[in-house]
Amino acid sequence: MSYLVFFLGLCFVLGVLAVASNPSPYYGILGLVVGSVAGCGCLLSLGMSFVSLVLLLVYLGGMLVVFVYSVSLAADPFPEAWGNWRVWGYGMGFLLVVFVGVVVGGLMELEMGGVRTVDCGGPVSVRMDFSGVAMFYSWGVGMFLVAGWGLLLTLFVVLELVRGLSRGTIRAV
Amino acid sequence: MNPHAKLISLLSLFLGTTITISSNHWVMAWTGLEINTLAIIPLISKSHHPRAVEASIKYFLVQATASALVLFSSISNAWVTGQWDITQMTHPTSCLLLTTAIAMKLGLAPFHFWFPEVLQGTSLTTALLLSTIMKFPPMTILLMTSHSLNHTMLVSLALISAALGGWMGLNQTQTRKILAFSSISHLGWMAIIITYSPKLTILTFYLYILMTTAVFLSLNTTKTLKLSTMMTSWTKTPVLNASLMLTLLSLAGLPPLAGFMPKWLILQELTKQEMTVTATIISMLSLLGLFFYLRLAYYATITLPPNSANHMKQWHINKTTSTLTAILTSLSITLLPLTPMMFATL
Repeated sequence: MSYLVFFLGLCFVLGVLAVASNPSPYYGILGLVVGSVAGCGCLLSLGMSFVSLVLLLVYLGGMLVVFVYSVSLAADPFPEAWGNWRVWGYGMGFLLVVFVGVVVGGLMELEMGGVRTVDCGGPVSVRMDFSGVAMFYSWGVGMFLVAGWGLLLTLFVVLELVRGLSRGTIRAV
Repeated sequence: MNPHAKLISLLSLFLGTTITISSNHWVMAWTGLEINTLAIIPLISKSHHPRAVEASIKYFLVQATASALVLFSSISNAWVTGQWDITQMTHPTSCLLLTTAIAMKLGLAPFHFWFPEVLQGTSLTTALLLSTIMKFPPMTILLMTSHSLNHTMLVSLALISAALGGWMGLNQTQTRKILAFSSISHLGWMAIIITYSPKLTILTFYLYILMTTAVFLSLNTTKTLKLSTMMTSWTKTPVLNASLMLTLLSLAGLPPLAGFMPKWLILQELTKQEMTVTATIISMLSLLGLFFYLRLAYYATITLPPNSANHMKQWHINKTTSTLTAILTSLSITLLPLTPMMFATL
C-alpha cells in the first residue's frame, strides 16, 4: 500500500513538472490532469474521500473543461510540442530541482528522525472532512459567505474585463 | 466605467481590507488579500488603454504570487506549531517567507519593480487607492506579526527601499512615478522601525497616508501628470500650487512641517537601540528623495517656466474648491506641534 502512495506522490511531482516545463497549454494540461488525479489519490489514501471527489469533480470536470473549450477557440495552428529542445531543457532543469529537493529532504529526514509516512505530522483535525462541510454551514457561515462572495466577485471581475468587444480591455476580441 | 461594476469593486475593496484587518486566522487574512487583489483589477484597467491593461496584469501576477507565499508561510507554520493564529507565528522559516510575501505586497525593494509601472498605468485617483488603501492589509499583517520577525532582514529591506526609492525617483518626469518612488522610500522608513517600535510604524503609515492623499488630490485637481504641466498649472490654481509646495516638502520630511515627525521619532528610536550607523545611512538616503521633492516644489511655484503660458492667472476657473483637499493639506503642513499627543495616543 505504501508503494502505491509513493507511486501516486511520484506521479504528482512528475505531473507538476510537466506543467512547469510545458511547451504550450494544450500539452501542459495533460500534466495537470495527471498531477491532480495523483493528488486526489494521495488524499484518498489519507481517508478524505469527500474532499478528493469534490476536487476531481470541480477541478477536472469543471475548470479543466472550461479551460479546454476557451483555449481551443484561441488555438494557434502549429504549437510547440514535447519533442522540442527547449522543452527538454526546461524538463531536465526542473527534474534537477526535484532531485536536489529530494536529496536535501532525505538528508534532513535522516538527521531528524528516520522514514516518515505522508500523514505522520500536521493538524489531525483535517481528517474529518465531511464534518468539516457541515461546519461550513453552521459555525463557519461567515467564512462561507465570504468565500461565496469572493467567487462571485471573480465572476464580476472577469465579466467587467472582457466586456466591450474591442473597445474594452481585451483588444483582440 | 459601469457604475454597478464600480460599486461592486469599491465595496469588495472595503470588504477585503476589513476582513484582513480584523482577522485572527491566517485563512481569513489570505481571503481578504485575495478579494482585494481581484476587486481592484477592473479599477486599474478602467481606461482600457494598453498601458492600463498591462498595469493590471502586472499587479495581478505580483499580488497573486505574494498571496501564495503568505499561504505557504501560514501553512508551514500551522504544520509545525499546530495552530493558525496570526500573532503566534513562531517558526523562523515561516516568518522569513512571510516577510518576503509582505514585501512583495507592499512594494518594498527588491520587490518594488511593479509599483511605478502599475501607478503610471492608472489614473491619479486609482493610484491614490493603490498607494493608501491597498497598503492597509499587508501593513496590518506585518504589525500583527512584528514581534516574531527577523530584524536583519527588515532593516536591510528598509535600507534598500530608501536607497532605490531615492535614486530611481531622481530621473523621473511623470508625477505618478515620482509618487511611487516616494511611497517605496516611505515604506522603507516604516519597515526599519517595525521590529523595535511598531507604534512608530503605525504613526509613519498614517502620516504618510495623510500627506500622500493631500498630494494626489492636489495633483488631481489640476490633472498634473508630468512636470511640464506642473510648471504652468499655477495659472489655474495659484493658491493650490503654493500649498502643494508645502505639502511636497512635508512629504520630503522637512521640519517644521508634519512629515518631519515620523523621521524624527524613528531616528530617536534607532539611536536608543544603538543603531546609529543605520540611522545615519537611512537619513542620508532620504536626502536623495529630498532633491526630487525640492524640484517638484520649485516647479509648482515657478512663475517664469521655460514653456511659459501667455497669460497670468486665468480669469475663469471651473474647478470648485475641494474641502477634503483643503483639510488634508492643512493637516499635513501643520501637524508637527501635536507630536507628543500623537505619539502618546498611538
